[in-house]
Amino acid sequence: MAYIKDERPQTMMLDGSWAVGAYRYKALPLLKEFASALKDKKILGSFCSGCGKVVVPPRNICGRCHQRMDEKIVVSELGAITCFVVSPPVQKGKYKLFGMDPVETGILKEGEELIPVFVRFDGSDANVNCLLLNADPKKVFIGMRVKAVWAKELKGALSDLEGVEPLEK
Amino acid sequence: MRQVAIIGCGQTKHSSRRRDVSVAELVAEAVYNALADAGMTMKEVDGIVCGNMQGFGGVAQPDLWLGDWVGANNKQVIRIATGGTTGGSVGQGALYAVASGRFDVALAVAWEKHSDSKEAGATTGLMHVGAGNLFLALNYGLSLKNLIATTAVGAAAGVAVYQARCYMHRSGCTIEHLDMVSAKARRNAAKNPYAHLQWPNCQPEDIAKTEIVAYPFRYGHICPASDGASCIVVAEEKIARKKCKQPAWLKGLASYSDEENQLQSEGYGGVGVIDPSEQMGARMSAKKAYSMAGIVDPKKEIDLAEIYQPFPSQELIFSERLGLFDEGTAWRYMEKGETDIQGRIPISVSGGVNATNAIGSSALQRILESALQIMGKAGEHQAPKKIKNAIAHGWGGVTNYITVTVLGDSPRR
Repeated sequence: MAYIKDERPQTMMLDGSWAVGAYRYKALPLLKEFASALKDKKILGSFCSGCGKVVVPPRNICGRCHQRMDEKIVVSELGAITCFVVSPPVQKGKYKLFGMDPVETGILKEGEELIPVFVRFDGSDANVNCLLLNADPKKVFIGMRVKAVWAKELKGALSDLEGVEPLEK
Repeated sequence: MRQVAIIGCGQTKHSSRRRDVSVAELVAEAVYNALADAGMTMKEVDGIVCGNMQGFGGVAQPDLWLGDWVGANNKQVIRIATGGTTGGSVGQGALYAVASGRFDVALAVAWEKHSDSKEAGATTGLMHVGAGNLFLALNYGLSLKNLIATTAVGAAAGVAVYQARCYMHRSGCTIEHLDMVSAKARRNAAKNPYAHLQWPNCQPEDIAKTEIVAYPFRYGHICPASDGASCIVVAEEKIARKKCKQPAWLKGLASYSDEENQLQSEGYGGVGVIDPSEQMGARMSAKKAYSMAGIVDPKKEIDLAEIYQPFPSQELIFSERLGLFDEGTAWRYMEKGETDIQGRIPISVSGGVNATNAIGSSALQRILESALQIMGKAGEHQAPKKIKNAIAHGWGGVTNYITVTVLGDSPRR
């Protein structure tokens, strides 16, 4: 009656490549604008004439009042943490993402504790999800003042904004 | 709008691997159980509303080919998929279809079979849903470290952990309270023969022994990925009165969406303007559903709640957003045992999503379990108090889409 009765250790595997660059359908010109502004250490947001809110990264339409958000605003590189998470120390072989081990591929370091945070840059109303760098995980708190950490070489790419770090050490 | 009631409930045993059945057989099991419970045959059913979460389970669009397994030959079939809320939308779809007069009897069928994909909910699940949203950022030079650490942090658990942190900051609730909620879910599930993670007499200390996944979540806090299906039989007033001694009447329903508050997919890591624990969609849905049900003070008039709580913090957050407690106070009442099965307002007495999560089916199960409590058919996990009004909640979309269904022991006035 049924057709999948055999227990297999895993689904059949096929070798191949995944063209992640093919995900273009949502790639907005806005994101490009945001990325290129990072080259000049500028963080762009969009202003809503309906509710007066500034959203970072910019978007076309306000989520709440459905007004077009045509005006771009540069927000401060200083901000405050609105939420944070501390990961357990990263371990090799613990998990895989997109089929790769982050430690093996050198993306993350063994024993590193990651602190993803929400940051509200001054002059904006949105939470930006990024990494808190150069900080003691035990001393992080909501409301902590932070500033942007810029890449050594600025390329006009999202990687230019490496994350944020505490303002006072 | 016509009076509508739920007159039959059926579900399958939930476990991590139902390898004894295919998707179609699994779903058929729930349909048979529901029809048997209602004392009806497929001939009396006019139409079927069905769905599972899009992209899950490793089988593409099962609704397109499993129709005949659920008795849909020569019947109208509607598929609805709204992410985690799918079951809630499917249930409401059937309720709307009967209320409108289009169908006299409708089935709402929802399911998920995670074990058909190798990495449950990953390769074919949330990763499938999220990939398009996340990978576009790679075109603009997002570093892999940032992609892993922020945008892709742990799928739904990653989303909920921020929400939990915001809630705890706002309310003063601690990780020990989350242990209590999860222990309660496991204990309740032990009384529910269909539930997945059953742990009789589970205590908060048992949960506290489990490893931290991302503070404040421990391994013991997190819902399983289940295989399972559920089905309800929805009928109009005359048939309901004839076929069922105590139907669960529809009193109010609503589903509101809010601004996407996490993984704002147009940006790369922008997470919206609002606090993810704010949940305006839940507040609005509850308000609308209560006004339709004629409920003025939910704190007094709601006797039981089935909340979509894959993570323990969400039981606390949503019980407040649905107006059952004042903001920031749910954990105090939970601590006192008021939300226990014997308590003043039992919450998630079935064990809820924290104990059983066949995603597409989970929100329909909330409606189903509320109906069982009103019909007095819940068995060992029947709440001892008289249930006049119960509320069933669903959470999903991109964390911003809510369904709320209020059921009662008498028709809406």
